[in-house]
Amino acid sequence: MSEVTQNTYWKSLNELAQNKEYQNFVEREFPENATELTDGVSRKGFLRVMGASIALAGFAACRRPVQKILPYSRQPENVVPGVPLFYATSMPFQGSLTGLIVENHEGRPTKVEGNDLHPGSWGNTNAYHQATMLEMYDPDRSTSPLRNGDKASTNDFVVFAQEYFADRNKRVAFISEANSSPTFQALKEGALRKFNNASWVTYEPFGEDNSIEGNRIAFGSRLRTHYDYTNADIVVSLDDDFLAATHPNNVEYAKQVTGRRKVTSTSDGMNRIYSVENGFTLTGSFADHRLRVKASEVEAFANALAGALSSRINGLNTFSGVNNQFTGSDFLTAMADDLASNAGRTAVSIGLSHSANAHAVVAAINVALDNVGSTVNYLEVPSFDNQNNKQAFADLVTEMKAGNVDAVVMIGTNPSLTAPADLDFASALGNVEETIHFGTYRDESSKGASWHISRSHFLESWGDGYSFGGARSVIQPQIQPLHDSLSELEFLNAIVYEERVSGYELVQNTFKGYYSSNFENRWKDILHDGIDIRDGYSRANVRLRSVSPAQTSSVDGLEIVIRPDASVYDGRFANLGWLQELPDPMTKITWDNVALMSPATAAQLGVENEDLVNIAVNGTPVEIAAWIQPGHADDSITLHVGYGRQGIGRVADVDSDTSQLFDKTVTAGGVNVYPLRRTAGMLFTSGSISKASGTYSISCVQDHHSLEGRDMYRQASLSYYKEHPEYASFKSVHKYAVPGMKEAAEMGEDQPISLFNEQTYPESEPQWGMAIDLNSCFGCGVCVIACQSENNIPVIGKREVGRGREMHWIRNDRYYVGDENEPQAVHQPVPCMHCELAPCEQVCPVAATTHSPDGMNQMTYNRCIGTRYCANNCPFKVRRFNFFNYPKEYLTTGEDPDIIQMAMNPEVTVRFRGVMEKCTYCVQRVNRAKISAKIETGSPKPAEGTVVTACQQACPADAIYFGDLTDENSEVSKIKRNERNYLMLEELNVRPRTSYVAKLTNPNPALVDETKMEPAH
Amino acid sequence: MAQIFPKWTNQVPRKILIGLIVTANVIILGIWYFFSPKYTDVGYAPTQPVPYSHKVHVDKLGLDCQYCHTSVFESKQANIPPTQTCMNCHSQVLTDSEKLEPIRESWETGKAVEWVRVHNLADYAYFNHAAHVNVGVGCESCHGRIDKMEVVYQTEPLSMSWCLDCHREPEKYLRPVEEVTTMGYEVEDQILLGSELVKKNNVSPPQYCQGCHY
Repeated sequence: MSEVTQNTYWKSLNELAQNKEYQNFVEREFPENATELTDGVSRKGFLRVMGASIALAGFAACRRPVQKILPYSRQPENVVPGVPLFYATSMPFQGSLTGLIVENHEGRPTKVEGNDLHPGSWGNTNAYHQATMLEMYDPDRSTSPLRNGDKASTNDFVVFAQEYFADRNKRVAFISEANSSPTFQALKEGALRKFNNASWVTYEPFGEDNSIEGNRIAFGSRLRTHYDYTNADIVVSLDDDFLAATHPNNVEYAKQVTGRRKVTSTSDGMNRIYSVENGFTLTGSFADHRLRVKASEVEAFANALAGALSSRINGLNTFSGVNNQFTGSDFLTAMADDLASNAGRTAVSIGLSHSANAHAVVAAINVALDNVGSTVNYLEVPSFDNQNNKQAFADLVTEMKAGNVDAVVMIGTNPSLTAPADLDFASALGNVEETIHFGTYRDESSKGASWHISRSHFLESWGDGYSFGGARSVIQPQIQPLHDSLSELEFLNAIVYEERVSGYELVQNTFKGYYSSNFENRWKDILHDGIDIRDGYSRANVRLRSVSPAQTSSVDGLEIVIRPDASVYDGRFANLGWLQELPDPMTKITWDNVALMSPATAAQLGVENEDLVNIAVNGTPVEIAAWIQPGHADDSITLHVGYGRQGIGRVADVDSDTSQLFDKTVTAGGVNVYPLRRTAGMLFTSGSISKASGTYSISCVQDHHSLEGRDMYRQASLSYYKEHPEYASFKSVHKYAVPGMKEAAEMGEDQPISLFNEQTYPESEPQWGMAIDLNSCFGCGVCVIACQSENNIPVIGKREVGRGREMHWIRNDRYYVGDENEPQAVHQPVPCMHCELAPCEQVCPVAATTHSPDGMNQMTYNRCIGTRYCANNCPFKVRRFNFFNYPKEYLTTGEDPDIIQMAMNPEVTVRFRGVMEKCTYCVQRVNRAKISAKIETGSPKPAEGTVVTACQQACPADAIYFGDLTDENSEVSKIKRNERNYLMLEELNVRPRTSYVAKLTNPNPALVDETKMEPAH
Repeated sequence: MAQIFPKWTNQVPRKILIGLIVTANVIILGIWYFFSPKYTDVGYAPTQPVPYSHKVHVDKLGLDCQYCHTSVFESKQANIPPTQTCMNCHSQVLTDSEKLEPIRESWETGKAVEWVRVHNLADYAYFNHAAHVNVGVGCESCHGRIDKMEVVYQTEPLSMSWCLDCHREPEKYLRPVEEVTTMGYEVEDQILLGSELVKKNNVSPPQYCQGCHY
C-alpha cells in the first residue's frame, strides 16, 4: 500500500501544486478580508437581494413591543394553531411531475419534502424542488399582468381574450413548455380545434425532442425512453448526466442507481457505471470508469460501441463496419465485453441533447442487449406532439418573420432568451400583432410583449399531470395566489373558451372523466396520497427498424459545448438566491458561469483561473472568465447558460447598481452565453477562443474550509474490500493504532484518555448519531438547500462568499484523486460532527456551546458573544459566523419584505449579527419528536424513523442515516457497526457522532490491474 | 499659619468613598430589580379590544379553560379562540352589547379580532404548552388565578431563572393531569404528591440549553 501522501486527495489545482496561493489561503482561518469589516455600507445594498425594516423595533432596555394575536374568525377544520399540516402536491418540471409533501404552518407553506408514495420521488427531492419554496415567495416574481407595459389585471385579460379570440380565423401560434397535464392537453386540443389556422409548438431549450425523434427513427413511433436502473448491473452513460437535477427524472434515477450500491457486507454486489463525457459531471464522478472525449465525439463512440457489440451479440449487423477512433480501444472493448456478458441486465443511455440518430443507435443497442422490458421501457406519452418540435419551432419563427402570424401565445417559456441565436426570435416577435407572454417573471420575452400575464406558482394553483415514468398525480395548491395571477390551465381556458373558470373545476372535470362513479371518495384519496395511478403511460411494444450508424459531426479543433446550469437550469431559477449560492457540484463556483476547459487546453491558451477569454461562434463573441476543470476533455470548452440576465430581479440581474455595491471585479451574475447557441449547434459547435485582457473574480468555495490534505476520505475497490473488509479502519490506513489506544487498554478503558472531561449521558435519554454513506453520495447538493430551507440560513451574496463567509451548515466537499488530466472525483458532505469531546466547547468563554444529555453539541445563540474561538478550534471547520445581520437585510429590505419572511421556518430562530451557528442535527425536529413521544407513549425516546433530519429526508441517494444510537436496531446503529464505518480525524480523540461509511468502486478487472488496486485515502 | 482646610475636611475622602459605594450599589440593585422581568413584565395588563372578563366566564359561569383554549393539550400554542367560539353563546346572549361589537364585526367580516399578547416569551426561547400540561403543569402555575382576573395580567416574570426553578424541582409544582385546569388547586403534601407524579410520569424536564433554545 502506498504511503499516505498529502496529495492523494486534492480539491483544487493550487492544492495539488501546493503553491504559494494555496499556502496563503489555508494559513488563515478565514480568507483575507473575511475577518475585517472593510466596507460596511456598500454591502447593504446588495443584500437587498431578497427583500427594509420590519418592526424589529425592540431595543434591549426598552419595553418590549406590543404584539398582537390574530385568531381565526372561523377556524378551519383540522387546523390546530401551532401544529403544522402536511399536504401532497406535485412539482412540474420539463413536462414531468415529481410528487411532493409540503409543510404548512397555519396555511403558510414553509418546506418541501418528497412524497413516499410517488414514484418520481419515493420520499426524496432535488435542489430545484427545495428551492421552489423561495420562488413562490420571491418578491421579484411578476405580481400583476401588464398590458403594453402598464399594470393591468387578470380580469382585463379575460375581457380582452373574449373579444380578441372570438375571431376563429386568427392565426394563433402557441409556444408552450412541455406539460404532461391531461387537462392542459384537452385545452390544447380545444385550441387547435377552435382556431382554423392555429399552430402549437412545445418548446424546451434542453428538452427531450432528440430522444423522442430518435425513438421514432428506431421504432417508428414517438416514445419516451424510461430506464429502470434497479435491474441494471451495468450502466453506461454516454454524456447523459441523469444524476443531476437538470435531468427531468433525476430523483428516481438517483434512487435506483445508488440503491444498487448499498453494500452492507462483503457478500453484497454492486452495479458498475461507465461514463463517457467531455465535462466532468455528477454522473461522471459517480462512475467506476470515466472516459473523457469531446462532446462531438460521443456519437462516434456510440457507433463504435454498437460496432463492437455487433460481433458479440445479434441484432447490430448494420454497425459491423463501423471503424472510427474508438474502435478497438481498451475502454470500448472492456465495456462491450461487460455489456455483452450481462445482456438483459444493462442500461445504455445518451444525453438528451445529442442527435436523434445517436438516440436511435442507443435504442438499437438496448434492444440488441435485450434490455427492453427489463432495464429500459419505451412509453407512450399522450402529451407528445406528433411533430418534430425543433423543426416546428424554426418554421414558426420563419412564419412570424413573414408576418403570417397574428398572435403568439408563450406559455411558461422564455424563447426571447433561450431560442437559438440564429433564429432571432425577439425580432420575429416584433412582426406579430399580439404577443402574449405568460410566465413567473417579467423576463426577456415579456419585454415588448403586448400582454404579460402573471403565472400562479404551482404551490398556488390546481393542476395535474404525469411523472416521467407515467404516474398520474394532482397539483394541489397550498395557499391562495399571493398575486393577481392565473394558472396555465385558467389562462389557456380563457383563450380557448373565453371565460374564467377556476383551475379546481378544470382539474376536477378531467378526473370525473376517469372516475365516473364514486368520484368524491377517489378524489379525496388522490389528494391525500398525492398519487392516482402508477402506470398512466403504457409501455410500447417496440419492434426495431433498421438503424444505421449516426452521422457524426465531429468538430475538428476546438468545440464549444453549451449546457444547462446545475443551479439556474436554463435561466428559470436565476432569481433564487439559494440556488445561486449553492456551489456547483463539480466546480464549487457560486453566482457565476465560467468557461470550463481542461488543464492542457488552458496551458495551450496560456490562461489561468479567472482570466477573461474571448469565445466566438460564427462571429458572435462573448467574454467570460476561464476556469480549469481537471478531467475535462481537451480542445473542448463547456459553457453553462442562464446567467448574465438583466431586468429579471434583484438576484439574477448582473447590473443591479453594481457601481455602488461592488468593486468592479466582483459584480454578480456571470455572462449570457445563449447568443452562442445556434440551431446547427444546440449542444456543441466549433468556435474560436483567445485570451482577453483582464480577470474577473469568481467566488469559488473549493478551497474554503480545507482540511489541508489530512485523512478524511477513504475508498477501495469492491474486490479489495472483499479480501480486506477492514480497509477503512484507522489502522489499515495509517499502519498504526489510534494514538492512546494502547495506554487506554492498559487502564481498562475502551477509548483513549482525553484531557477533556468525559461527558455523562443519562440512561433515559436517546443518543443521537449520524452516518453518511460515501458509497451512495453522488454530490448533488440537495442536502445543502434542504438544510438552508429548514434552518433559515441566509443568502449572503457573491462577494461575501468570495471572502469565505458562506453560511451553509453542511458543505459538500469535492475531492479529486490522481492525475489532473484523468482524475477521479469523490464527494463528501461535511456537517457538524457533534463530537462527544468537542474542542469548540472547551474554548468558549461564555459557555454558549455546550453538550446536551442526548449527545448533541448545542449552540446557544443568545449566549454567544462572537469571539469565534470555537470556529478556530474546530478541526472539521463546520462552524459559520454571522459577520453581518444577513437575515435582517435578507428579510426586511425591498418593497414587500413580508412576503419573503413567509418562507422562514417558525420553529427555528433567525440569527443576529455576531453569533456563531452550525448544524444542530435539526434539533427542532428532534425536540418535536421527543415531545410527541413523551405525550403519546410516555417514553423519552422517540421511535426509530420519527426523527428525520432535513438533509436525510431530501437525499435521493439515502446516503444519510440519523437516529438513536442507544437503539441497537436503529438503521444508524446498524450501519455504524459496518466495518467500513470510520471517523474523520479519529486520531484527535474528539469522538465525532457523525461517521462516514467508506466508498467502494467496482472497476472492470479488464481495465485495471487488480493486483495494483489499492485503496486510496 | 492657619490651616487652609478645616479639620472636618479629613472626613471628605472617606465620605465620598462611602457615597460612591452606596451609589454604585443602589445603581446595581436598581438595575437588578427595575430591569428584571419581575418589575418590567409582571403586572402587564394591556387593554384588549373587547373587555373580556375571565372572572365572569370562569369563576361565575364555570367554563373550563379548554372550552376556548382547545389546542393546549396538542399544540405548542394554547390558542386564542376563534370568533366562532364567542359566537357559540353570544349569538344568543348579549346580542346587542356594545362591548361585543368587535366580535360581531369579526364574525361578519371574517377579519380577526386583534387581541394584545400578554405573555410574551423572548424570540429565542421555544415553549410548548402540550409538553407541560400533559405532564401535569397546571395553567395557574404560570398564568396565576386567571379565574379572578377582570383584565388578564402577567403574574409571573417568565424569566429563565423562573423557568428553571420548576425544571430543577418539578415535584414542587406538579399536579395530576386531570387537575391541570383547576384553579386554586391545593394539596396537603405537595412534595409527596409531586415526587410520586415525577416518578409515575417519568418527568425529566430539560435543563440543557437546547431543551428550549434553538
